[in-house]
Amino acid sequence: MSNNRVSRRQFLNYTLTGVGGFMAAGILMPMVRFAIDPALQTHAEGDFVQTSTKVADLTEEPVKVDFSYEQVDAWYKSEVTDTAWVYKEGDKIIALSPVCKHLGCTVNWNSDTAHPNQFFCACHGGRYEKTGKNVPGTPPLGPLDEYEVSEKDGFLLLGKKMANTLV
Amino acid sequence: MFFNVNDVQQFQTQKDFIDTVLVPLLSLDFEEGKIKQSSSAAEFLMSLTSFIEQQFKGRLMLVPPFSYTEQTKSGLSITSLKEELNNAGFKHVLFITTDHSWTSFNEQLDILWLPSIPLEFMDSTVKKTVLEEQLKQVIPILSTKWSQS
Ligand code: FES
Repeated sequence: MSNNRVSRRQFLNYTLTGVGGFMAAGILMPMVRFAIDPALQTHAEGDFVQTSTKVADLTEEPVKVDFSYEQVDAWYKSEVTDTAWVYKEGDKIIALSPVCKHLGCTVNWNSDTAHPNQFFCACHGGRYEKTGKNVPGTPPLGPLDEYEVSEKDGFLLLGKKMANTLV
Repeated sequence: MFFNVNDVQQFQTQKDFIDTVLVPLLSLDFEEGKIKQSSSAAEFLMSLTSFIEQQFKGRLMLVPPFSYTEQTKSGLSITSLKEELNNAGFKHVLFITTDHSWTSFNEQLDILWLPSIPLEFMDSTVKKTVLEEQLKQVIPILSTKWSQS
């Protein structure tokens, strides 16, 4: 009988392994989820937001497209309006994020008369080419982000923000 | 930038770039006949200032509004407020308000006065257009200030 008794040492071993296991799982699970989730989510239909812009109306000249979606931040729900600069390059639709890669101001298309056909950031004079490529010598250190695009019933859909694929 | 820990930390390391502070001056009136109008003006000022923040995030910090009533207003010294903000490293201090009485300070300080527009009946697209229109009044003021420095 006494052989089956759990000694103090064994007891501690068991519990610590158990607790350690839980802790390891607690640490690893989110890491695994972070690693896998984005890959799984990229093509989920629900991630695209419908805009009121018709694909047929788009030209080679970038236009501002607003789109809204609901953002849930803990218990606080809010409607977020985002903007993208959208244009056509041949048959391809390109949507760029207007957020300057320097410190986050909103960039405008063609608003600096000295440098036409570029995106311009009024904050510290940052400039980007039409592809979103940052012009060297201006403060931004990277290209503008891009949005995934899609089409439904002739309307433009915008999806996830991703790193620029054009430059 | 907003006045939160993240943005303030960024401000501390990037003072060369984040050199402007936007200070809303917000009048509150709780009197039965005026409280609704007062809340509408507050909504307008808050929406407009966060819209400005979004456009100029990298150069401007929006601080929480300095709010007052008719009775408490005399306790608010915006001249010393400006000095404190200058000492904190903000080269440009811009006040924004829908309360006309502040325009008397226009000689010494940068006060941007805008009449309040009731946004509460507008849907979000119209609201955005209205705010964009208002923003157009702010841009030249900021760019003249910025080109001086
Ligand atoms: S935030 Fe755009 S250039 Fe600095």
